[in-house]
Amino acid sequence: MEFITGVYLFFIFVSLYSVFLVLLIYFRNRHNLYFEKPTNGLYHISVVIPAYNKEENLLQTVNAVKNLDYPKDKLEIIVIDDGSKDKTAEIAMKIDGIRFFKKGYNSGKSDTVNFGIKNANGEIIAIIDADSYPEKDSFKKMIGYFDDPETGAVTASCFVRNTGKLIERLQAVEYFLIAFGRKILDFVDSVYVTPGSLSMYRKNLLDEVGGFDTNNITEDIEIAWKILKHKYKNRMCLSAKVYTEVPDNLKKWWRQRLRWNIGGFQTVHKYRNSFFKKSLKMFGLFVVPRFLISHVLSITGFFVFVYVFGRVIVQKLMYWIFSIQNGNTIFEVPRLFLIPSVFTFFIFLLFAFTLAFTYIGLKTMNKMDIGFKASFTILFYLVFYLTLYPLVLLHSLYLLAAGNIKW
Amino acid sequence: MARFGDLFWKALVLTVVVFLLGVLLGFALERNRIGDIEKEFQKIDLQWNDAKLQTLYYQNVEQKFCDSAISENLGFGDKVYEEGLKIEEYDRASFLTSDLELEKKKYALLKVEFWLNSIVLKERCNADYVNLVYFFANNPDFNAEAEQDTQAEILKDLKEKYGKDLMLIPLPIDLDISMINIMRETYNIKKTPTLLINEKRRLEGLQSFDELDTMIKNEQL
Repeated sequence: MEFITGVYLFFIFVSLYSVFLVLLIYFRNRHNLYFEKPTNGLYHISVVIPAYNKEENLLQTVNAVKNLDYPKDKLEIIVIDDGSKDKTAEIAMKIDGIRFFKKGYNSGKSDTVNFGIKNANGEIIAIIDADSYPEKDSFKKMIGYFDDPETGAVTASCFVRNTGKLIERLQAVEYFLIAFGRKILDFVDSVYVTPGSLSMYRKNLLDEVGGFDTNNITEDIEIAWKILKHKYKNRMCLSAKVYTEVPDNLKKWWRQRLRWNIGGFQTVHKYRNSFFKKSLKMFGLFVVPRFLISHVLSITGFFVFVYVFGRVIVQKLMYWIFSIQNGNTIFEVPRLFLIPSVFTFFIFLLFAFTLAFTYIGLKTMNKMDIGFKASFTILFYLVFYLTLYPLVLLHSLYLLAAGNIKW
Repeated sequence: MARFGDLFWKALVLTVVVFLLGVLLGFALERNRIGDIEKEFQKIDLQWNDAKLQTLYYQNVEQKFCDSAISENLGFGDKVYEEGLKIEEYDRASFLTSDLELEKKKYALLKVEFWLNSIVLKERCNADYVNLVYFFANNPDFNAEAEQDTQAEILKDLKEKYGKDLMLIPLPIDLDISMINIMRETYNIKKTPTLLINEKRRLEGLQSFDELDTMIKNEQL
C-alpha cells in the first residue's frame, strides 16, 4: 500500500468518525433540539452594543432590542461608539432610553465590549453586534439556561438578513448549518464560540475571567474557550433567533474568514496547554483537539488535493503540448472503464452523509421549503463554496507566518 | 466527558466497523479482478501454446501455411495487448493489494514470447511486417510519464493504420524480469519511452507519428 493511500484512508477514518459522532448525538437528542429552559425568574440584563461605523444599522438594532419581549425594568441598553468616523455617534446620541458612551478613539471590539461590561449594572450581559437584530422572544427563550449555575454563556441561532445575492444566500445556508451544528455540540458541552451577533454571559463570570481578550481578533471564540476552561458551560438555544448582515461580496467575505481563521489560530495557540488535559473535561479532551485536528487535516487535505490534482493537470497539459508538437490528436474519446475501488465506496458513503447532514440540518432549521433557486444554492454550497475553506485557511496561515495580523 | 463517553465510544466502534467493511470490500473487489485476470491468462496461455506449436510445425514441416501462422500470432498479440490495457486500468484502481504485480509480470513474459515468435516467423516466412517494440516504465518520472502517454497514443494510431503489417509489442522495463533485463542490456535501453524497430533501429525519447510512419514504410520496402 502506498503512503498516499494510507493518508487517504486516515482522512476517511477521521471523517467517518466525525459523521458518526454527529449522527449519534443528533439521534439521541433530536427531540430536544428546540428545548427551552423555563426560568425561575427573569434576570436583569445589560445589553451591550459596540458600534464602529454602523450609522446604517445601529438604530434598527437598538429598536429590535427595545422591542424585545422582556420586562423593560430588567433591561438596560448600553451603546458604545468605538471611535466611528461616520455618524454613528450622532445617531446614538439621539436615541432615547439607552445609555450611550462615546469613547472618542478606536480600540477594537474587545476593548469596547469590556468598557460596556464595566459600566453595566445587569447580572447578565448580552452582547449584540450593531448590525444584528434579535427576534422579539429571543431573550425569554435564552435566559432560562442561566438557572443552571454551571452555565456561563448562552448563544442563539444566527440567521442571515440580507439574502439577495448568491454569496449572501450561500452564507444563509452555511449559517443554518452552523446553528444546527452548534446545537449538536451543545449536547456534549462543546459550544466553542459565542458569536457577537447575540450571546449572553454571566456578568460575575466575565469579571472573574477578566472580560474579553483585547489581543485576540475573534473575541467571541476566545471568550467561549475561556469560559469552558473555567469549567462553565456555553449553551446554545436553537429556538432563539437573531438576524445579521453578512458580507455581500467575495472580498469582504474573504477578509471576514481570514479574521475568523487567524483568531482561531490565536486562540488555539493561547490554549495549547489544554490539549488533551483530562481535568478540563470536554474542553481539553474534545474542543481543543477537535479544533486543532480539523485545521491540520484541512491544510494537509488541501496539499494532498493540490498534489494529486495538480499532478494530473500538469501531466495532461504536458501530454497536450507533446501531442501538438508531434502532430498527434489531443482530443480523443477516452476508453471508459468504471472500476470500483475501496475509495468508490467511501466517497459515496461520505457524500451521502454530507447530504444527510445538510438535509437534517436544514430540516431541523425548518428551511426545507426548497425550490429551484434554493436547491441550486445548496448544490453550489456543497460543491464550490466549501472548497473555498482550505484556501482561506492557507491564506490565513501565510498571514500568520508573515506576522501580518493587523485588523 | 464521562456523561457522553458512550457516544464517543459508540462512534468509534461504528467507524471501525464501517471502515473495516469498506476496506474488506476494497480487498474483495481487487481480489476478484485479479481472479478475472488469472482466468483470462489461462485462456491466453492456452492460445499461446497453440500458436507456438503452430509456428514450430510450420517452421519444420509446412512453410506454405505461413499466412495462417502470422495471422494466429497477430491475433494473439492483439489479445495480449488488450489484456495489458485492462491490467493497466485495474492497476489504477488497486490501492490495497500488490498481487497485480505478479499478473503484470506474467503478461510481460507473454509479450516477450510473442516478440520472439514474431522474429522467428518473420525470418522463416520471409514476412514484411514490422516488429515495433515499445519500452516503457510502469513508474516513470514526471516528464517520462507524459511522453509515454503521448507515445502510446501515437503507437495506437500507427497500429490502426498498419494493422497486421505492424507487430506492436509494449514491454515494461521496470518489473525486474531477467529476460527483459537481458533485452535492456542487449539493446542498451536506458530511458523510456524507447522504440526498437525490427530489432535494429533504436529510437530514444518521444517519436512523432510522421517520423515513425516514414521509418515503417522504409522498413517494409
